[in-house]
Amino acid sequence: MTESSTLRSRLRTAALALTAAVVLASCAQDAPQDTWDPAGSEAQKIHDLQWPIFLIAGIVGLIVFAVVAVCVVKFKDRGQPIPEQTHGKAWLEYLFIALPAVLLAGIAVPSVAVIIELNDTDNADCVVNVTGQQWWWEYDYPIAGDGSICGYMPSGESGSIVTSGQMVIPTDAKVVIRGTSRDVIHSFWVPRLNGKRDMVPGRLHTWNFHADRPGIYAGQCAEFCGLSHANMRMEIVALDPVDFQAWIDNQLEPYQSPEDGTLAADGEAEFIAQCARCHQVDGLTDADGELVVAHPEDQVYSGAAPNLTNFATRNTFAGATWDLLTEECRDDVWEADPENFGERYLAGVDRDCLNAIDLRAWLRDAPAMKPMYTEPEQLEATDGLVRGMPYLALSEDQIDSLVAYLLERK
Amino acid sequence: MALIERPRTGDLTPAVATPEATYGAFRRPVHSTGWKSWLFTIDHKKIGIMYGVTALFFFLVGGLEALLIRAQLAGPNGTILSADMYNQMFTMHATTMVFLFVMPMAAAFANYLIPLQIGARDVAFPRINAFSFWCFLFGAIFINTSWLLGGAADGGWFMYAPNSSVPFSPTNGIDFWGLGIQITGVASLTGAINLIVTVINMRAPGMTFMKMPIFTWMAFVVQFLLVFAIPVITVALFLLMFQRSFDATFFTVEAGADPLLWQHLFWIFGHPEVYILILPSFGIVSEVLPVFSKKPLFGYPLVVFSGAAIGFVGWGVWAHHMFASGLGPISVAVFSVATMAIAIPTGVKIVNWTMTMWGGKLVFSTAMLFAIGLIVQFTIGGLSGVTHAVAPSDTQQTDTYYIVAHFHYVLFGGAVLGIFAGLYYWWPKIFGRMLSETLGKWNFWLMVIGLNMAFGPMHIIGLQGQPRRMYVWTEARAGEGFFNLGFWNLISSIGAFVLGFGVLIFFYNVWRTHFGRHKAPPAPLDPWDARSLEWMTTNPPKEINFDRTPVVSHLDEFFHRKYEDRGDDHAGYEPVATAEEVLAIEEANADDDVHLPSPSYWPIILAFALPIMAYGVIYNILLIAVGGIIVLLAMFGWALEPATAPDSDYDPPSDGGTDLELPTHG
Repeated sequence: MTESSTLRSRLRTAALALTAAVVLASCAQDAPQDTWDPAGSEAQKIHDLQWPIFLIAGIVGLIVFAVVAVCVVKFKDRGQPIPEQTHGKAWLEYLFIALPAVLLAGIAVPSVAVIIELNDTDNADCVVNVTGQQWWWEYDYPIAGDGSICGYMPSGESGSIVTSGQMVIPTDAKVVIRGTSRDVIHSFWVPRLNGKRDMVPGRLHTWNFHADRPGIYAGQCAEFCGLSHANMRMEIVALDPVDFQAWIDNQLEPYQSPEDGTLAADGEAEFIAQCARCHQVDGLTDADGELVVAHPEDQVYSGAAPNLTNFATRNTFAGATWDLLTEECRDDVWEADPENFGERYLAGVDRDCLNAIDLRAWLRDAPAMKPMYTEPEQLEATDGLVRGMPYLALSEDQIDSLVAYLLERK
Repeated sequence: MALIERPRTGDLTPAVATPEATYGAFRRPVHSTGWKSWLFTIDHKKIGIMYGVTALFFFLVGGLEALLIRAQLAGPNGTILSADMYNQMFTMHATTMVFLFVMPMAAAFANYLIPLQIGARDVAFPRINAFSFWCFLFGAIFINTSWLLGGAADGGWFMYAPNSSVPFSPTNGIDFWGLGIQITGVASLTGAINLIVTVINMRAPGMTFMKMPIFTWMAFVVQFLLVFAIPVITVALFLLMFQRSFDATFFTVEAGADPLLWQHLFWIFGHPEVYILILPSFGIVSEVLPVFSKKPLFGYPLVVFSGAAIGFVGWGVWAHHMFASGLGPISVAVFSVATMAIAIPTGVKIVNWTMTMWGGKLVFSTAMLFAIGLIVQFTIGGLSGVTHAVAPSDTQQTDTYYIVAHFHYVLFGGAVLGIFAGLYYWWPKIFGRMLSETLGKWNFWLMVIGLNMAFGPMHIIGLQGQPRRMYVWTEARAGEGFFNLGFWNLISSIGAFVLGFGVLIFFYNVWRTHFGRHKAPPAPLDPWDARSLEWMTTNPPKEINFDRTPVVSHLDEFFHRKYEDRGDDHAGYEPVATAEEVLAIEEANADDDVHLPSPSYWPIILAFALPIMAYGVIYNILLIAVGGIIVLLAMFGWALEPATAPDSDYDPPSDGGTDLELPTHG
């Protein structure tokens, strides 16, 4: 190799490295929904399949651009004679059919293998029922025949766990979701754990999640689902086995009424009067000691409203679109290292960390924060049923007491 | 109506109908100038121009909608548009660009150019041609009246069920959308049949299929796609209409419906639709590149066959729009592989265009720049297409901005750049004046820079997790660092405005060429040293297109009349005649007594009845009856009206001349 060609090849390597560096550096860092930052085995399978394809596509693109550039520079009209009026060369044509065909066959084989792997939802360690509804997700943890939930045996008595916004799963387990929708098509997508799967009314779709490390993984409904599509998010919270056991036990703790005479006790009464028509709190009893059972189907077109039994164990509300934690406390949880994450998350929401501004604004006028077709004139097509939380005309005192009550729901 | 020609020695005046008699209530229109000559015209050239003008108008409308969308998304939690308005805006942006700009723009080129490229005097059914245009125009206006009547459609252009049902979209927007697309569908369907018959039957003597200009070929393939695709969306839209207006339950899940039915119907139409949008532009650049490379199209037969192959395989890939919808692994695998397969004929075209330039004598006119721009930009879109043909990869990408980036590179970088190449290339042919090349280059560079700024960052935005169709995005999901998604959203929005500015330069160029103080002089006869038949006539062509029906012996006939091979090795082409000389021979041997079909009132009347009926579906069933009666009367009027007015100077043949085509009633 001559000196100049060594230099040239070094320059070429440097140029390639620089290009790669520029491409990588020009992306956002720590984007919570980055599809190129897998954190679970399913997303990893997709990533392992796709990066070589992106690379090949990039190289093919560069070759095409180079040839076009050569044409533009080399064959510019500089008074050369009229070129040969050739209609092509057959061997070249066949070559350019065969080359991409071989390349694509090389891509097709591993693609098909991964398609089949990703769709294997047998032998689940944990099953969660996921239901989409305009504009939030509900997670319902089925109780297995032996009383276990998501592969874990509750320490106390077993019971149902219905939650929303954040789906909590154990790490190192094959979690299969069984999903559907109550109204229009939604799509469940948590990019760092897996690709998306539509949740279609009338159909049951399964999909896998397997988180490698504890942490919060952000997602967003990906199928256009109407007015507040942008405000329909979800998060998957992965906890290590010990913490997950603690989470289950905590979720199943029996209901405790607030102490008499506290603001929260007023809040309980307000809740029964204002909220319990739609929102279920398991174990809540009214003044006569009767269980309070919500009937959202009488109020809400799609038929359900989030279960608020353990509201303050979650970090988000209203379709995971607003944080229950102040920004500082939120960062504490999101940026915790895997060892401390579980502890931080299980602490839930307390008064110091509560994002009171957004929660109070929501209670004051929910449709102003999240468009939901709840104006009376918009309800003609649904026979008066609302499609989200309506304006309730609550006073500031009512809101105070409701916030106090909700903060104790953990 | 077929064209009646009867060679006769004598005067050279083309026949214009001058009817004295009336038909029913009306005297037949005869105008060849003034606004009435446009309203009642059946001249394919006038109809082509009207298609083009309307389409370009809707390009501005769709562009305005796009700019509002990008203004809303320039920063987090945008407040320019409400959620409701945003949803209408992106629905109508796509609807406008697909159905009211690119499709009719392709129809404009096809209408204007196909008869000229095949050496015919008009299309096979000139009145149906006029009817197609008016259906398109009235359908387009009908859809857009929804803005003033309670709001436009808000379900996305894909209009997935059940979100398109009344409880989820209570305004009339989706009714307007469905019925309007139905009416423009009538335009596409009748237009397609018309052009298919034209191409098959009316090619000039000697023009075999493999000597047919490549644009005509690609447009021909598109017409077949339309003939088979439009009925599918028609069925789907009827289901939607009955669902929304007459309480049917085709998409009501509680009644046992499966919402995926709509997706299958929509995409069986929708995927061929993608090729309906792109193939005409492939045809355009396949004309432009050879002219400005001074070489024939490399591998012409292969480009033809790959176009046809895309037309066929395009029917077997629709479910790649549904990789995330839960079809099951076998279907997904099959459609994934089929989708990869369609990259092969598409790749063939890229290779052939590049090889056309290779070894050529390249002139970088604005048209050529747009054509080269298409090769580069479409390649980017095609390659990102391969990445989501890989279904697992697609489950991460679908419904994100990565897809938005992909199809804008394909449709803007492909279809629209091709359209602009065609506009600059054929403008002197159509309007007799040349657009400014200087402004054209500004136009090109601003559009290309704008398009890469607007759509390039969307690759990053999408791969880093931002879904489409969200009226706001949030900083909480935008990541850290200087180049976070907020930065790229802003760049994208700025790019959109640069792009918009580039487009405005085109309109300024048009104004300047025709109306300004620096009005362009009449264009030379053959400004580009072109190769195909449409240039073998005046600029703009006479109403009869050609003085003499050309006799074709070569692909690139016009080139071969101007240049001849002096050597044995195909290496020594030399000019033997100027365009003027070629034309002088044609003029000297002009056919005389050419009969053109006469103008008619009925196409516009018949088309006008359709939106009346559509308003009837939405507001009052009685209007359907009113429209129906007009339809009935117009059809009778049309059927009873001879294609050519009888008192024009048409003489029935007495000797059964061999070159006589039998008149049919178009």
